[in-house]
Amino acid sequence: MTLTPSLETRIIHMISQLSAVRPAEIGMQDRLREDLGLDSVCSMELISMLAEELDLDVALEEAMAVTTVSGAVEMARRHVLAKAG
Amino acid sequence: MTALVLGAGGFLGLNLVEELLAAGVAPRCGRRGRGNVLVLRKLQVPLVRAELDAPLELEQAMDGCATVFHLAGHYPRLSIDPTGALATGLGQLRNVLEAAASAGVKRLVYVSSAATAAPAPSGSSDETDVYPARPGHGAYHDLKWEMERVALAEDRFEVVVACPGACLGPWDLRVGTSALLVATARGLDPPHPDGWINLIDARDVATALLRLSTLPSPPRRVLLSGGNHRLHPLLRELALHYGVAPPSPPLAADRAIALADAEEARAAREGGRPAVAREIVDLIVRGVPLDTRLAEDALGLRCRPLAETLSATDAWARRMRLIPDGPHLEAVPR
Repeated sequence: MTLTPSLETRIIHMISQLSAVRPAEIGMQDRLREDLGLDSVCSMELISMLAEELDLDVALEEAMAVTTVSGAVEMARRHVLAKAG
Repeated sequence: MTALVLGAGGFLGLNLVEELLAAGVAPRCGRRGRGNVLVLRKLQVPLVRAELDAPLELEQAMDGCATVFHLAGHYPRLSIDPTGALATGLGQLRNVLEAAASAGVKRLVYVSSAATAAPAPSGSSDETDVYPARPGHGAYHDLKWEMERVALAEDRFEVVVACPGACLGPWDLRVGTSALLVATARGLDPPHPDGWINLIDARDVATALLRLSTLPSPPRRVLLSGGNHRLHPLLRELALHYGVAPPSPPLAADRAIALADAEEARAAREGGRPAVAREIVDLIVRGVPLDTRLAEDALGLRCRPLAETLSATDAWARRMRLIPDGPHLEAVPR
């Protein structure tokens, strides 16, 4: 059986790719801009990566509203649940 | 028409994709490893990997395409490394040209910049006013001049070059040209020099690019502008409209350049964006009024009035929460 990494882990790895901050140093309450140095363009890229990986249909406004790691997780979880029906 | 759009997820790219879709053309959209493709996914257009540093990937992306729109020309984030910017920009452009030749592309529409328009001996500049050598005004001007030279030297297939001025309108995800307008609307009194700016709606640029791709005999190089404006009076009118304090007097060119250089050095050290970008300062202080009769005559381009463009920019900035609630641009500067 293959264990799928949790949503949190996947998102933290994506943030690490974009910010060059090591995954172990990224906390759920971290703010994307102030704590991790992701500007609005990078934050959009994060949500775009997430949308592609999980095949989610995310509006720009919704992507703009995500400002923390936990916010990204919550947004993704909401979409995954909605997709599952 | 089978067409590939490089830079499809960017400001001009998204406007072009919408224009192509409206014209019944389903473009193949190039995407890079990183980037925002949320809107392209919504538009349900085919996405294909097209990293500008990966020649084989580019060739595969262009396979079967008669037309390529290249809107992904290198735009350095900062102007502090002119040599590196030239190496990256020219290297990527050569990759695109090589791939297009190998893939059998018939026409490549390359988006350059009005930065390549030289001052006219008198009056407005047109397509005959070109710098004989690198302008030497800064990294951005030199890069755009060199890239245009390489693009126009291509003889294995047709290359046409569009040189838009300062673009405004929807899908400005990175808030480029509109940054000064947005800052003024927020009452932030952005430091700025004065000079000529050639504003154009990104949707009009998209129309021009589509026509450049379909006309049997398009002009080889065309300047695109919806109108020539002095920056400071425009910001003053915008401030009046938004009900904020008028902008401070414009900085002298040398002071503006020094400030931009200091800001870029700070941004390089600390991250983030410079409060004033060097290439924006260069574009303003070296700006020239443009004569756009060729675009009107050869492309039949009729640009939107400035009021319509500013209203669209205002709506976009509000959508992106860049401008808080307050007066809308209903009566905008002429």
